[in-house]
Amino acid sequence: MITLKKKKLPDADIPTSSMADISFLLLLFFLVSTVIDVDTGIGLTLPEFTPPEQQELVPISKDRLAAVLINENGDVLLNNEIIAIPQISKTLKPRIESKIDQPANKKLVVSVKTDRKTDYNLYIQALDQIKDAYFQVRSEYAINRLGKRFVDIDDRSEEMKEIRDKIPITISIAEPEAIKK
Amino acid sequence: MKFEKKRASTKQNIPTASLPDIVFMLLLFFMVTTTLREVDVLVSFRLPEAKAIEKIENKRLVSYIWVGQDGRIQVNDSLTQLNEIQKIMYAKRVALPNVIVSLRIDKSSQMGVVTDIQQELRKASCLRINYSTLLKI
Repeated sequence: MITLKKKKLPDADIPTSSMADISFLLLLFFLVSTVIDVDTGIGLTLPEFTPPEQQELVPISKDRLAAVLINENGDVLLNNEIIAIPQISKTLKPRIESKIDQPANKKLVVSVKTDRKTDYNLYIQALDQIKDAYFQVRSEYAINRLGKRFVDIDDRSEEMKEIRDKIPITISIAEPEAIKK
Repeated sequence: MKFEKKRASTKQNIPTASLPDIVFMLLLFFMVTTTLREVDVLVSFRLPEAKAIEKIENKRLVSYIWVGQDGRIQVNDSLTQLNEIQKIMYAKRVALPNVIVSLRIDKSSQMGVVTDIQQELRKASCLRINYSTLLKI
């Protein structure tokens, strides 16, 4: 008698041994194409554009204003005194500090004005010095009044808000002299 | 008496079944964090250096303007004229209201071109800018 044998089905599995290789390939592609470097730079907010005929002159008292003027030779004029670029930070710092406890409408305004032919690098150096002065004052404030390092303070905390209120960074980029070429 | 070699009774192969899972996990991480390079930079520039700099946290908000050594201006993928910047940047600003414009300007440029670009940006009401610099060590 013939015994009826049940036909055995072959094992139905997907070969997964090459899966790792494929995913490694993809991984490598993304590793290579990823841009890791973070953009760094000096942040600034420009004033809104108003046509010249609508512009109003708002008088600012002399002791609030620190006018930084950089000419095409790289000479810096800070409140009518000629100084070198690396001195800007030192000169500004005491003035920012003296305004810490003043109300918001009495804080220091730093106005930067350049010539059309001023070197961009010099402008950045000057801006760097101004920012540096502000950062120094901020970190000293954090240490002395809050007992924390500035870098340790969370961006959204009350303390950061206090620092921002007390020492706001107001840098005004002056309109270039009646744009002439 | 017969000596038998002592052998560990455990299997000697490394279980590789979970390897794809691990690799896929890494892969997913990189896929999520990657922002692919979108443009070819057509101008040559060297960035200035500064100390008191900040990081731009959110790369997706950033839009670049390049100015090369020869004063050519590049926005997006192509070289542009100064008077076209306003139109292009306004479109960007509409698409992305809190766009940060990163200015990658060659350090030997003059302020004239920088001021002109800034005026155009103000007209396009892209007010958040960032002068791209390297860290001075």
